[in-house]
Amino acid sequence: MKISVNTEIALTYLTSRKKQTVVASLGVMFGISMFIFMQSLMKGTNDYFEKMSFTNTPHIRLYSENKVADNHMLKSYFNDPSEKILTNPKQLNQSLGLTNPYGIIEQIRRNPEVANTTPQVTGNVLYTSGSVELPGNMAGVQIDEEDKMFDVQSNMVSGNLHDLNRVHNSILIGKGIADKLSLHTGDNITVRSGNGNTLMMRVVGIFSTTVKQIDDTKSYANISAVQSLMGKDRSYVTEIKINLVNYMNASKVARDIETITGYKAEDWIKANEQLKAAFKIRAIILNSVIGVLLLVAGFGIYNILNMTIYEKIKEIAILKAQGFSGSSVTSIFLQQAIYIGVMGGIVGLILGFSLTFMVSKIYIGAGTLKYLPMSFYIPHYIQALCFGIFTTVAAGYFPARKASKVDPVTIIRG
Amino acid sequence: MENLALKASGITKYFHDPVKMQVLKEINMEVKKGEFVSIIGKSGCGKSTLLYILSTMDTDYEGTLEINNVLATGQSLNNLARIRNESIGFVFQFHYLLPDFSCLKNVMIPALRLGKLSYKEAEETAYEKLKMFGVEDQALKKAGKLSGGQQQRVAIARALVNNPAIIMGDEPTGNLDSKNTGIVFDLFKQLSKEYGQTLITVTHDEDFAKRSDRTIVMADGQIINKPM
Ligand SMILES: Nc1ncnc2c1ncn2[C@@H]1O[C@H](COP(=O)(O)OP(=O)(O)OP(=O)(O)O)[C@@H](O)[C@H]1O
Ligand SMILES: [Mg+2]
Repeated sequence: MKISVNTEIALTYLTSRKKQTVVASLGVMFGISMFIFMQSLMKGTNDYFEKMSFTNTPHIRLYSENKVADNHMLKSYFNDPSEKILTNPKQLNQSLGLTNPYGIIEQIRRNPEVANTTPQVTGNVLYTSGSVELPGNMAGVQIDEEDKMFDVQSNMVSGNLHDLNRVHNSILIGKGIADKLSLHTGDNITVRSGNGNTLMMRVVGIFSTTVKQIDDTKSYANISAVQSLMGKDRSYVTEIKINLVNYMNASKVARDIETITGYKAEDWIKANEQLKAAFKIRAIILNSVIGVLLLVAGFGIYNILNMTIYEKIKEIAILKAQGFSGSSVTSIFLQQAIYIGVMGGIVGLILGFSLTFMVSKIYIGAGTLKYLPMSFYIPHYIQALCFGIFTTVAAGYFPARKASKVDPVTIIRG
Repeated sequence: MENLALKASGITKYFHDPVKMQVLKEINMEVKKGEFVSIIGKSGCGKSTLLYILSTMDTDYEGTLEINNVLATGQSLNNLARIRNESIGFVFQFHYLLPDFSCLKNVMIPALRLGKLSYKEAEETAYEKLKMFGVEDQALKKAGKLSGGQQQRVAIARALVNNPAIIMGDEPTGNLDSKNTGIVFDLFKQLSKEYGQTLITVTHDEDFAKRSDRTIVMADGQIINKPM
């Protein structure tokens, strides 16, 4: 292998001061491994919360929005823009149900981006057992579809969710409701809807999510049971839940569905704006920490090269006296920075991976979160390496430039 | 115009620190190709200063300098570096080697920089040069671990490795015993006579100076008589 004389000199300088070289690469190693570790932790956490949010929100929710009356009909009637119309806008008196929901579902299913859809009837109810009353909301669902989309099974603490299809007028209740009303699987519960209808239901299962507010209020029943509880017919559906093949496309697909159906389609990003804000804040914190780490690593390299140049200034003068140009000298010192960076970088990548791997095995067992969520995402490693090399080159550049400007005569004359 | 290796006209140099003082005064000199010239003079008269200018390392002077009939004055630093690498070998007054490198490497580095020889050829050439000065047994030792005289001989070997047209030495034999001084002198003589290389050496050794082709005597920053 043919290596240039500049490289050879750079390597000799690095190996003749092993200790300093190692210390400088340790700085880079530390910066890069921390970069990877923190990125993995953050992406893991974000992914986890994103996934968590999908355990109770669909990618897209289609529902009928309360509309405020406007005057577009009047305008078209008068057909004269110079007429001024005074109106007093009021909420339209309209049903919360969607018109022709099963037709809409058929239509939505034709979209290749859509993976799953399921209709739902939601109603506010009062749960009663003995003398205790508890407000909450009831979701009338097709439990098999619901389970496919939201993995209800994984939240079940007792009972069997498929009994919802087998037992007439059966219900799954949140653990909070069960505790407050001291109910167990097999007990009866009375449910009263807003319009006064009551229904005696059999508890066939109890579920527990990580969200207390849901556990304290939510129940599932068969869609037909809720429809009759609300006093509505079989075509009454308050919302359609849609999951996509790729949830990142949600906003675009939501817009398409909105134009096709005329109903409001809310994507998960809009429904979880506080989640996005949390992601952003975490990203800012993380980036500042990483910035500081890399800055420290950069200073380490800068310092050590500066010291080397101070020590070797006579040798730089000799090299120049023998015909090494300024750019050769720059190359010699920049290469040292790069080797320190690459060495520290590679070890840092390995360390970062090991650290991430080890931490991902730490059991924490909070709710459904059993292990710390860590992601293993290749672009993090590539980013880390690029950052590392960028910092080392930037840190090496200034001392190297200084070295290239050494005037041989001044130094040799002493 | 005859075959000049080096021509200096009106070289004047000032030092500004601590007070402005003129070190070199209107120096004119010519050295023919293949000539072996010695420069002598009292300590502090400006010999080293002149040699640094002639070697193109020092560019802060008045007057003009031509090397191999090419004007060196005013050339870019990169061009001057190339000229030095290719055509000038320099032996410093205090034989500066790179202490982290082996003696062999020290000699090889200018050859590798020039890039005309392969690594292997450079290694062989460097070894030959060390052999000429009887330090081949030190070839693989770190340069920092050699005695003063050994270091000086390695430094001379390094100056010769690219077979430069001009070899300049600032007291190249200052640290050598009479036997080794004799070896170096004979070699310099041989280089000028057989290979047509030009030698300019500053020396305090009267005998060394007398035996060279021509002696230039300096005093107070001036050349006082050309032929002695
Ligand atoms: N960097 C400098 N700044 C100011 N004055 C200097 C500097 N370098 C050398 N001098 C002065 O310039 C004069 C010539 O110095 P030079 O080194 O050329 O002498 P020299 O003839 O080589 O002496 P020696 O035989 O002792 O080596 C001296 O008086 C010295 O003090
Ligand atoms: Mg001197």
